[in-house]
This record gives sequence, C-alpha cells and structure tokens, in this order.
Amino acid sequence: MPPVETPVEKWAGKIHEVNLGGDARRLVVGGETTLPFLHFEGAIPHPPAVAVEVQDRPPASWAPELRASWGEAMEDPASWAKKAVEYGADLIVLYLSSAHPDDQNTGPQEAKKTVTRVLSTVDAPLIILGPGIAEKDNEVLVAAAEAAAGRRVALGFCEQKNYRTIIAACMANNHVAVAKTPVEINLAKQLNILICDMGLAPDSILMDPTTGALGYGLEYTYSVMERLRLAGLQGDKMAAMPMFCTVGEEAWRQKEARATEGIPAAWGDIATRALRWEELTAMTLLLAGADVVVLRHPQVVQRIKATIQKLMTKE
Amino acid sequence: MSKFIASAAIRGGQEIVKEADQLLKETLEKYGPEQKVGFANTAYYLPVIYAYTAHKVEKLGDMIQPMEQAKALLPRRMPTEKLWLPYLGETLDAGVATLFAEEIISGVRHVMGVQPEKQNGYTYNGPIDDIQLRTWGIQLVDGRMPGFAAIVGRAKTNAIAVKIVRELQQRNILIFLSGNVNGKGIVEQLLEEGVELGYDTFTVPFGSDTISAIYALGFAARSALTFGGMKPGQAKDVLLYNKNRVHAFVLALGEVDDLKYATAAGAITYGFPTIADTVIPNIMPTGITKYEHVVSMPFDDIPGNDDMERAERLIQRCIEVRGLKLQITKVPIPVSYSAAFEGERIRRGDYQVEFGGRGGVTFELLLSKKLDEVEDGKITVVGPDLDAMPVDSNQPLGVVVEVAGRKMQKDFEPVLERQIHHFVNMAEGVQHIGQRDIPWIRIHKNSVARGFRLRHFGDILYARLHADFGAIVDKVQVTLYTKQDKVRELREQARQVYNERNERAANLTDESVDTFYSCTLCQSYAPTHVCIINPERVGLCGAYNWLDCKASYEINPTGPNQPVPKGAVIDESKGEWEGSNRFTYQHSQQQVNRMTLYSLMDAPTTSCGCFECIMMIIPEANGVMILSRDDPSMSPVGMTFSTLAGMAGGGLQTPGVMGHGKFYILSKKFIPKEGGFKRVVWISSNLKEELAEGIKEVCQRIGEPDLMDKIADERVATTVEDLVAFLETKEHPALSMEPIIQ
Amino acid sequence: MALTGIEIYKHLPKTNCKECGQPTCLAFAMKLAQKGIELSKCPHVSPEAAAALEAAAKPPMRLVTIGVGDKKLEVGNETVLFRHEKTFLNPTGIMVRVADNQPAAEVESLVAEVASYSLERVGMELRPNGFAVDNRSHNPSSFAQCVATIRAKSQLPLVLISQDPSALETALEKVGQERPLIYAADSHNSEGVIKLAKKYQCPLAIRAEDGLGQLAELSDLAAKAGVEDIVLDPGTRGFASSLEALTQIRRLALKKNFRPLGYPVITFPGEGAATPEEEVLLAGEHVAKYANIIVLDHFSPGHAYPLLTLRQNIYTDPQKPIQVSPGMYTIGSPRDNSPLLITTNFSLTYFSVAGEVEASGFPSWLLIADTEGLSVLTSWAAGKFDAEKIAKTVKGFNAQDSVRHRKLIIPGAVAVLRGELEDELSGWEIMVGPREAVDIGGFLKRVWAN
Repeated sequence: MPPVETPVEKWAGKIHEVNLGGDARRLVVGGETTLPFLHFEGAIPHPPAVAVEVQDRPPASWAPELRASWGEAMEDPASWAKKAVEYGADLIVLYLSSAHPDDQNTGPQEAKKTVTRVLSTVDAPLIILGPGIAEKDNEVLVAAAEAAAGRRVALGFCEQKNYRTIIAACMANNHVAVAKTPVEINLAKQLNILICDMGLAPDSILMDPTTGALGYGLEYTYSVMERLRLAGLQGDKMAAMPMFCTVGEEAWRQKEARATEGIPAAWGDIATRALRWEELTAMTLLLAGADVVVLRHPQVVQRIKATIQKLMTKE
Repeated sequence: MSKFIASAAIRGGQEIVKEADQLLKETLEKYGPEQKVGFANTAYYLPVIYAYTAHKVEKLGDMIQPMEQAKALLPRRMPTEKLWLPYLGETLDAGVATLFAEEIISGVRHVMGVQPEKQNGYTYNGPIDDIQLRTWGIQLVDGRMPGFAAIVGRAKTNAIAVKIVRELQQRNILIFLSGNVNGKGIVEQLLEEGVELGYDTFTVPFGSDTISAIYALGFAARSALTFGGMKPGQAKDVLLYNKNRVHAFVLALGEVDDLKYATAAGAITYGFPTIADTVIPNIMPTGITKYEHVVSMPFDDIPGNDDMERAERLIQRCIEVRGLKLQITKVPIPVSYSAAFEGERIRRGDYQVEFGGRGGVTFELLLSKKLDEVEDGKITVVGPDLDAMPVDSNQPLGVVVEVAGRKMQKDFEPVLERQIHHFVNMAEGVQHIGQRDIPWIRIHKNSVARGFRLRHFGDILYARLHADFGAIVDKVQVTLYTKQDKVRELREQARQVYNERNERAANLTDESVDTFYSCTLCQSYAPTHVCIINPERVGLCGAYNWLDCKASYEINPTGPNQPVPKGAVIDESKGEWEGSNRFTYQHSQQQVNRMTLYSLMDAPTTSCGCFECIMMIIPEANGVMILSRDDPSMSPVGMTFSTLAGMAGGGLQTPGVMGHGKFYILSKKFIPKEGGFKRVVWISSNLKEELAEGIKEVCQRIGEPDLMDKIADERVATTVEDLVAFLETKEHPALSMEPIIQ
Repeated sequence: MALTGIEIYKHLPKTNCKECGQPTCLAFAMKLAQKGIELSKCPHVSPEAAAALEAAAKPPMRLVTIGVGDKKLEVGNETVLFRHEKTFLNPTGIMVRVADNQPAAEVESLVAEVASYSLERVGMELRPNGFAVDNRSHNPSSFAQCVATIRAKSQLPLVLISQDPSALETALEKVGQERPLIYAADSHNSEGVIKLAKKYQCPLAIRAEDGLGQLAELSDLAAKAGVEDIVLDPGTRGFASSLEALTQIRRLALKKNFRPLGYPVITFPGEGAATPEEEVLLAGEHVAKYANIIVLDHFSPGHAYPLLTLRQNIYTDPQKPIQVSPGMYTIGSPRDNSPLLITTNFSLTYFSVAGEVEASGFPSWLLIADTEGLSVLTSWAAGKFDAEKIAKTVKGFNAQDSVRHRKLIIPGAVAVLRGELEDELSGWEIMVGPREAVDIGGFLKRVWAN
C-alpha cells in the first residue's frame, strides 16, 4: 500500500485583491491562491462577501414573499440598506432602477441624491448599478460616481457595448468597475483587457460572468466561472478578477420562486422552494469561485453568511 | 529635427525663462515667499510642474525650485553651422523649461490678480477648474470627444477663424484658444463675429498671449493624474499617457515666433504635434508624437476653391496628423436604418428602380488609397439620381468606395467590400443581393418618396465603415455612377481588380507568410479548442479564412483572432512550427502540447464541434473518408456524422480523426504526410458534387485524372466491406500506398 | 500518458466482428481511448494485448451498481474533475434515510412519499434514487423488519446501514440478491462486513474515522479480499472538511491513478448540518463537488425539487445542450389576440425568452422550433432555423388556430429571414423582434400595447 500523498496543485497565479469602501468600513474581496475553500492548498485571505440588493424605489414586481420580508424598509433605499446591514450584509448593491425610461425615468440629480443618502446612512461599501440602458447608465452612474467620491464604490454594468464612460467615471473618482459579459470566458477576458487598456487597474475590476439561476442555465455560469478561476490561478491576469453574481435577482425571477397556483405538488410549498432556490444558486456559485453574491431574501442572507463562515473554517 | 526650429525653440526658451526668473524675483520682493499661490478650484497646484516633478507650489517661495530646474534644463549651446549636435533632446529640454517658465508666470499673474485676463471689457476664462476637467475628461476618455485642439495665434481672416472653430465643434473636438499675432488673437476674431465662447460650446478662451496656452498642457497633465491613475512625478508615464490617450494637437495660426516654437517643443514632449498654417520647416519622422511632429500647411497653398474649403482641409489634416478617431453613431438617411430591414423583400410593382439582376449592369468596388487621395465624407453621384429615373425601370449602377487609413492594407479591400451588402441592406426599402459585378438592388417607391437618393448609399457606407472599421479606416469617399457607358467602362476596370485579387488569394501560401491567426470563438463549448488558420487552410467551420482573421485582428485587437507567429519550423511536411505549438499550448488551458496543421495521424488539429467535414482513417482501405456535416447517412466506419462528431469534437485531439473546413480538401496542404488527396477513398456525395470542379483540378494536379470516379460515397458503400470491394474494382491508388498506420 | 485510439487499434484483432457492439475495431479503439467502453467487451483480444492495454482499459474510478432492474443506480466512472473538461457521467444517487426505530406507519408514509416522488423538467424525469435503512434500533430483527416494510412499498435500491454484521446479514438474507450497498466496513468490523459483501456479492461501503490513509488501507483490504465494488466514506461531515476530503479523493483517483481511492464516494449531509435547510446546502455542495451517493436525513418536496434540479444542471453534458421539446408554449394565459413569438429549442434560449416574456406582463404564445438544441444564431448559421423550418413549425403546431391575427415575431438576429418567410407563410406579417431577449419587454410594450 503506497502512502496517501495530499494532492496539492501548484498555482502560479493569484486572484486580484479588490478594495471597496471608505475609511469607516473597508472590504477586500479576492486574493485567493487556490480554488474555492481548499484551505489545504493555498490562501483564501478574504471570505466571499454577501451583498444585499436594494432598489431606489419599491420594486412592485418582486414576489410577495420577498416584499413581505423587507416590509416598509423598501420605501426608502437608505432604511432598506440599513436593515440589510443589520441582517449581515457585507455590502449593498444599490440598483438605480427608477432611472429606466420605462420606470420613472429619473436622472442624474435623483441618482446623486439617492447615493448620497444611502452613503450617509450606512458605512457598508456600495455597488451601484444603473438601469441597464446604455444612455441612462452613463448618465446616472457618472453622477453616482461623483456623489460617492472617496468611498470607493463599484459601478456597473460595464458591457462590451457600453463601458467607456463608466470606466472613465471609475478612473476619475477611484472607483471599481463591474464588468459583465454573457457567460463566455473569452468575452470576459476581452472586456477585462479593454478596460485595462483604458487605464483602469486590474485590481479595480469585478467581473460578472452573468448568472443563470438554478434550473435556468446555472450550469453554464458554473462552468464559465470554474474556467475563469482556473485560468486566473494558472497565471492569466486578465481572468483573475474577483467574480460577482446576481444570485437573488436571477433566482427570484423564475417561476419556481413565484408561482403559487397550478403547480405540481412535487414542487413543495412556495416559501420553502423559493428560499432554497436562491440559497442553492448561491451555494453552487460560491463553489465555482464567486467572490460577491448578491442576495435578496433576509433569511437567505443569514444562511449564506453562516455557510460561508463554515466553509472558511478549517475543521 | 530641423535645426531652424531647434534654434528658435532654444532661443524662445532662454528668453521666457529669463523673463519668468525676473518676474518671480520682483514678485517675491513685493509679496514675500509666504504669499499663497494657486489656480482656482484645483487640487493639482501648478499642474505641469506638479505632474513633471511632484513639487507642490502652494506659496510664492515654492516657485524657486522649479524656476531653478527650468534654468538647469536650458541648453547652454545653440546649434551652429559648425557644431552639429543631436539637438532633439536639447530642444525638448528647452520646451520643458519653457512650460515651467510659462506656468510660473501664470502663477505669478494669479498672485497679482490679473487672472483671468480682462481685455477690452472681455473676461477670458483662465485655467479650467477640476469639475469641468472631470466632465470633459470622462468624455475624452470614453471617446465621445475625440480630443482637443490648442489653437494659438490668429487666423488669416475672421471668417476663417469662425470656420475653423465650426469644423472642430462639428466633430466634438474641444477647443482651447490663446495667443495673438501682432496684438490681435483668434479670441478677438471670434468675438467680433459674435461666436459664443465658453464651456457650453466646447470653446475655452485662455488668454490673449502665448503664455496662457500653458493652461492647455495643465489640463492635459491633470487628465493623466485624474484618469490615468498616474502619480505626480511619474513624468514619463504622464507624458506617455498624453501621447497615447489624450488626443490633442497644437494649431499655430499666423506667424510663429520663438516663444511659440519653444512652447510647441514643450507640447511635443506630451506627444502633441503642431500644425502651422504658415511656412515653417516640417519635422516628419515620428517618435515622440504618434505620427509627424511638426507639419506646415501654408494656408494659401492648401488646395481648395476658397478659404472655407482651405480651412476645412486644414482641420482634416490636423485630425490625420494626430490620428483622431471620430465616433459616428447615426446613419443620416431619410428612411429607417436597422437590422430589422435586413431581410426585407421588395417585390415587382413596389420598387421605383432596380439595378442589376438579369441583364443589368452593376458593380461594387472598394479600393484603398493614400491618405491624401481621399477626401473624407465626399459623396458624388455621377449621372441621373433615383427621382430622375423612370419608375419601374432597370438601371446601371457602379459603386466605387475609396478608403484610406494608416492601418489600411490592400488585403483588407475584399473584406470591407463584402460588407457593402450587409450595410446597405439595413436601410428601409432597400433590397441588396450579391457583390462584385453581380449586385442586384431594388429600391422601394415609398423610400424614394421619403427622400431616399443615391447619395444616401454613400452616407450609409461612410457612417458604417467609420463606425465598424474605424480601427483601419480613417477616410471614406464614395462615388456612384449611373450612366450606362461609364458603368460599363468602370466595370471592366473593376473586373481586373477582382481577377488580381483572385490570383493573389490563389498565390497566398503558408510559406509566403510568417504569421498565422488563431480563432478561439468555439471555446465557449470546446474550452481547449484552438483553430490556427493559415492561408492554405480555412477555419474548421469554413467561415474564416486567413485574410478575414488578419483583418479581424486589426479591427479588434483583443478579439478572438490573434496573430500566431510561426516561429522556427519543426516539420514542414506536417505543418508543425514552434510558434503554433506554443500558442496552442497557452490557449488550450495547457492541454494540447503539439498540434500539426496538416497531419491526420500525428498530433492533428483539435476539433471543435462546428466543423464542416470530418475526416477519419479507414485502416482496411488504407485511406481516409470525408463525411459532410449535411450528410445524415451511415459512413463505412459504421458511424454517422453526429456520432463521429460526438466522439472527436469538444476540443479533443484524436489521431486518425479530424474536423476540417470543406475547402481544405482542395488545398495543396491536404494531409501531405499521409499522401495527400490520393488517400481519399470515400466522400459524402453532396460534398463531392459541390466541390466537383475543384476536386477534378486536384486530381489533375496530383497526376491521377481518373481518381474522382474511384472515390466511393454513401451511394456505393456504407460498410467497410463494400468500400474495400469497390476500391479494389476501381483500383484506387490508396490500396497500393504504404500503410497509413505505421 | 493515455494511449490514442490508433495505438490501441494496433493491439486489437482487426476482425471487425462487431461482437463488442461497435461497428469496427477502430471505433472500439477510439471509444476505449476515451474510456467510454471496457476492454472486456472485446471477446477476441489476446492476453498479451490485454496486458498492454491494461492502463487504457481500466477506468480510474470504478463504476458501481446498486440495486437491480430498471431502477438500479449506477455511480462512479467519472473521468474529470471539472464538468467543462468533458462531462460528469453518472448523476449523484440521492437516497433517503429511513430509521428502523421509527414507527412502521411513519416508515410506510415516508417510503410512499419518496417512492412516488417524480417530476419532469426539460424532458427529463427527476426523482430520488432509493432508501438508506439505518439500524438505529441496534436490533437485527427490527432492521430486517424495516427493510421488509420498505420493500412492500418500493423496489428502489437500498443502502443498509449498520455497524453490526449480524444485523446486516438479517437484512441481506431478505434483499441480498438485489445488490444493496452495505454500509459500512470500518476499522472495527471490517472482517465480518467484508465477508458479507463477498458472500452476497454486494457493493460495500467503507468508512474511515482517521483520514484518507486509513480509508485507502481499508479499501485495499477489501479489494484484496476480493470485493470489487467499493464505495468510500472518508468520515468527514462538515462543509469545509468534506469539500477538502472529496476533492482530494477525486484528484488522487483521476490524476494520480491511485487505485485504493478509485471508487465512488458516499456522504451524509444531514450529519454535518444543524437544520434541514442547511442539509440541503451541504447536499448541494456534495452534488457539485464529488459525491456519488448522498444520503438525506430529511425529505420534503420543497427541498427535493431544487436539489434534484441542481443535480440535473451539474450532470448536463456541456457539449450537448439541453433541449426543450418543440411545440407551442403558453406564457400566462394568452388569448387569440396575444403576441406569437418563435425561437429555438436550446434550453437557455428558451428560458431567457420565456423569462422575459413572462416578465413583460404580456400573456403570449411561444413557438419552439426543433433546432437540435442550437441557439438562434448558431442554428441559423447551420441552416436549422431557416424560413422553411420556421414556416413548418408555424404550420406543424397549428399556430393559426391559436391566434386570430396573423403576426409572427421572429428573433432580431434572424431579421434576414423576413422576406423569405413572408414568401413561405403567405398571409402572415413577419415582425422582427429585438436581438436580445432582455429587450423583449420593451418591444412588446412598443408594438403590442395597442
């Protein structure tokens, strides 16, 4: 019987460490020199962070279960963020949803106001996302970037078709960019290269490989993330950005998290199923290398926080 | 470097440094060293000095050190007839000394309370504050603003001054104004003409003298610190940042005196070239700047019908010299333009005019020209236009697109020409089919009624070529011909070009190039697959040839098509090079160590999944079969295309099995190590028929003119036994070749 | 270095006898090179050749079968550490624990619930795989009784959990012919339990309390005693510790070809979790990272459904996209004046389009064409989503009976098909939708609101 040797892989690379937040509360993500939670092999200096999604106006389309869980806090993004921090959020994702032309079509002034209010209410680092329409994103994110100067927030989404203005705003105010690409490793790397070409440092980028929820393309996200992480650890610096996943949004968009009528008994009751849907999506992507998971339900936040802690504890 | 310019710049530097030194001494005596100094609303002190040296000037006394540095920088000797110095470095030093001196003078002027400058009841702007820097900086960085022009001096006439500013504004170029010639400057000229100046109109009047032009360089220096993440004192990085990212140029109007030369020398250190509208020596070699350093375009010598045209050309030249890229986002035509109209059909009865089709005379030709041979945006229609043509008629049409660009290559002509179809088709009410000398175009009555004319073809091509191919195309000019004789005549010339291109493509061999191109598009599902595309072998999917990849790389340097230097040859007959092996290893997640480009048996190319054909050895027949993607039938190895693809695809390297593009079959580099085309014993019938002409040529070439009939297909053999029997009857040469499995 | 198909072929008889089930010897060789078939399938291979091909022939992780008949569970035979490298082959078996000290009625209702649990997702059936009977009573006859109670309700495969060889034997006497997994031989009882596995020819789990070294020793012991089908329990239970142990086992088996650990792994997430909710998360970890059999302590539909879906996701072959069945789908409750859209049957395409239509608030008809699982642009490029195919789909699923209008929305990426489609589908207006699914909501609002 040959002795059992611990099979350790030697990785040449290291995931970039991205600093977020102001003096009052800093957060670092990334820095891994091994695959997720394999403590026997390398360093995992910072646990993955749990972010809570807060919208700048009450999200009428959210599932009733979700809306009930936050209650009145949703009326005001600052109090919502405050409550999220109480539930354990490491950072806040602030969606400027109201800026969407089909929503309230709010502009840079409103964005500035919202960001300032949230920043003055919570110390937790912020990730600010635009409504996803290029023109509006550029408008409100530039304003948000100025309002958040000195607090090193992350701004998104930079996409291949629209990233330059957001990156310029990041560079002007020392912020971090969230680069989003559609579930493809080479596109992810390419966008990172393009962003770095503009002059933003590699340690100022989070990459969002696009999240597919459990049952809705999760396996694609999972494998793209595994490949990105492997490439990063093998020394490809343009694949070594910490990864960011919009878990809550994707999980709660699906029928499984919303449907209450006319569904098979095998689906189980809505609350159990919906929460597990979000949790398992998060869990799986954490194992693929997610460094920031954005969640929606307070109970899920607590459970995933606790689970990360267990995964970070060498037993 | 011109000795004349060097001498003038050094002289100018010496004078301004002396002036600054004197002024500083006087002011120090008057106000004392503790007197606060600073430009308004900036966190960057005196920005040029701060960026160069990291020295913070907060008080008058803080100016002494940079003043001394400026003095030290000044060259002690002048170039003379006898003393032949490599004086570029000295001139640039003088330039930097000049910038320091000018900034010190500006600082002192702030202390004296004479900034912003007031003259004749007009208040100039003075330096730009940090808030405006950020707002414009974002637009300069994200490309909405192509760059800035620092205009110094005075235009020949007020009208020319206005025209110059309008031309720049129209292109979204930021305009900094300063200086004068004999007491009158461009700012005054513009004010006289009632031109609105200020942040809202992208025009900043810094001041009436050359010294105030320093604010333009202060703006540039702060851009590097703000957007480039540079630290003050990283002089080289700051300058490189400006050269590579801040697309600025100096436009010197009117006589250039020593101080202007000296300031221009300072600007050159930032990589900003100078264009002058008077006679001065050119400095053409590139180096410190991206292209030419100093360009003289004596205004009256500029070709053009009048001063307005000459002004237009002057600006055009400035844009070329600095390499500014303009963003074009809208196609300016009177009908809708979007992908939704790509597949539109225009039926008989609905069209106003038809070009081409049966018996019609049409052609489309795209040519690359020298930069000075193309006038950007010029669209000419020679002959009657759509509204002058009888309804429902068939007409001749010749489209000639001339493009120029510093990175344009002759090889890219066909790549761009093929895009005409795609671009034009997206216009509402335009149906376009075909290319070269067979385009067939119909234009809907409604579109003509809404004002669509032939020149809009030009507008579409101009806008789209700039937008999509801006990386290689700097200028586009379109001419449309509609007179029968002229179109026929030009079509003959175009056909010659097409023939030359065909020959060039045919003669393009793997040996004749030193770089192949990669394609990693398929890695989304075949993570370890790398296509290496060489002139004599198309990509596995058949969609990309070597030229396409080459152009694609120029257009999108970070995209999926990367250059692969061949490097040292390992085995020519197998198509194995050190460079291609290295690239494959690095881009296959280090899974594929070796990959030959022509061998089926030894480390063959990996297979993605979207290959047009799959080739597999049949040991019993001592040959290979080629199965087409479109052939669903059973092959002699007992597997269908999809089974085989499942077995060998996904990025695997499987000796004996290989996916490939169909035109590879006709290549001279078709598995030479295994014996070439003679090895082929079976081909799917659809493929055999499609490539019949080409295959016949190959058979001739390899000296087996009857081989075509000896190759089996699914109609005669779907088992190994039947195949071998067939080959034996036909006496296929593969049977007597050396064993394919060694 | 593994042998290539050609190298293997040289050792084969080259008779093309087809007795292995493959059409030719070369095809067999290619398949063997990819470890997709076992050398033993070739009846004519010479002993010398077999010896030469030994390395190529033996999968690095053994395939173990639990149970018999059409519900049997096959686990193991995995060849990669990451699913993108090829695919994970045999989905994790999910077994539900039944304690023999539970009242019989409780056992019966649990077994009935689990055995009947089944749902369909993208054309595949999702269900748990069997039961793990736990001898909590420490009483052999209760154990056997419980097995009998289960068997009266269900024929799903079993894991027999007991430390007591005599208890195991009483159960094996009843179900020993059905290849239950015997759990487990450990450092205290190995001799007796290994004997049972030999006697009943059943797969055997071994459990270590003291690291992978001990696990390898026990496995080696069992293998030397002639037990071929082994399942490993490294004894770790927590989130971090089990991830670590399972990763190491998989790496040792696949990358180091370390035979003593070249077997499937079994886990018990309920033993490492504080609550049923946490158990699901830990089970999820094990599905993704290297468990071949998972024993669950709690079963409820709201937990089983997401977990089974995760298993389906992880075990999907990355090179063979999941397809949804072609047909007419309804989103919300569409009426005869609702929008009609068409797209391809690549699951991700379907999900994104369906999701966006759902979110748009417009009840709609969604036609799915059979494009063999390719996305819109790919299938268009491959000629599988052309005007003819779209027209055929529209007619084949009688779209004209579902809607009163004659408007069909096609994906923006295939706008070029519009003209041709209008020829193919006379009387229909072809509307070009957006290129990206995410813009569908805005598109419908713009063109369909009135």
